Amino acid sequence: MEFIIVGGGRVGLRTARVLAEEDHGVTVVEPNASALEELSNAPFDVVEGDGSHEVVLEEAGVAEADALGALSGDLNVNFVTCMIGKAHGCRTVMRIDEDYREGIYKQYASEVDEVIHPERLGAIAAKNALIGGNIRAVADIAQSLQVVELEVTNDSPTRGYTLSEIALPADSRLLAFGKEEGAMALPDPDASLELGDRLVVLADFDALDDVRRIIVGSAADTLANASTGGS
Amino acid sequence: MVVAYVLVKANTGEADRLKRSIAELEGIDRVSIVAGDVDLIAKLSVDSPAEVKEIAADAIQGIDGVESTQTYIAME
Repeated sequence: MEFIIVGGGRVGLRTARVLAEEDHGVTVVEPNASALEELSNAPFDVVEGDGSHEVVLEEAGVAEADALGALSGDLNVNFVTCMIGKAHGCRTVMRIDEDYREGIYKQYASEVDEVIHPERLGAIAAKNALIGGNIRAVADIAQSLQVVELEVTNDSPTRGYTLSEIALPADSRLLAFGKEEGAMALPDPDASLELGDRLVVLADFDALDDVRRIIVGSAADTLANASTGGS
Repeated sequence: MVVAYVLVKANTGEADRLKRSIAELEGIDRVSIVAGDVDLIAKLSVDSPAEVKEIAADAIQGIDGVESTQTYIAME
């Protein structure tokens, strides 16, 4: 596929490198390109200029691009870039700088297909690392909806029960189940919960604490608040 | 007649609610939710500069979810 990345900062360059390593065509647009040493022998094309100018994006190949990542640190540039990209038929991804704006852009910015907030993604990874192995956030589906993977511990009140016997909170659904050594699969209602088994649950943030208590057990309580700060 | 533009930065995703609350204030002509590093821009027309301050500094800033405002008074 062909991609344009606007913004040659840390987020833009890393994204460009990952795409280039997977053999996609990538062009990075950056106003200070000639001043940036990292760009001198990069494995992708570089266009020097302001990504919010249509002529610059045309030079970068917006007409042929499949998708455009507006990943600069400037929200105004990013939004205008997405408007131009959308007009040229690209899928558009916009970087935002603050959490609360995610909902606003999703609701109002029809030119933007997807919104990303790098600091939030970093926070999810850091949170998972800090909390350790029992609970892992897999994805934020919506502002208050998260997919989490939980591991059955010695403290799990439901250890020994079968999946069909477990009553999860109303605002949550069991999506997948895996035995300690086995692969994840669709949940078999007759499977029993044993130490080390893993469950993937879709849950509202408000229900996460209860889900955690039911699957992981009381030892997780003290960590519960730290892990629901995603909204 | 004094015309002013108030740039509003929010700290909540409830842009709709903020827009409604600002639009209800006396003297506000129009409010738009905007893309960029502020979240809403309100245009107001009032009789005196003192009223600009009342609306921008007191009324708008008093709305829950408003982080900060910047006010620009039109010169023509």
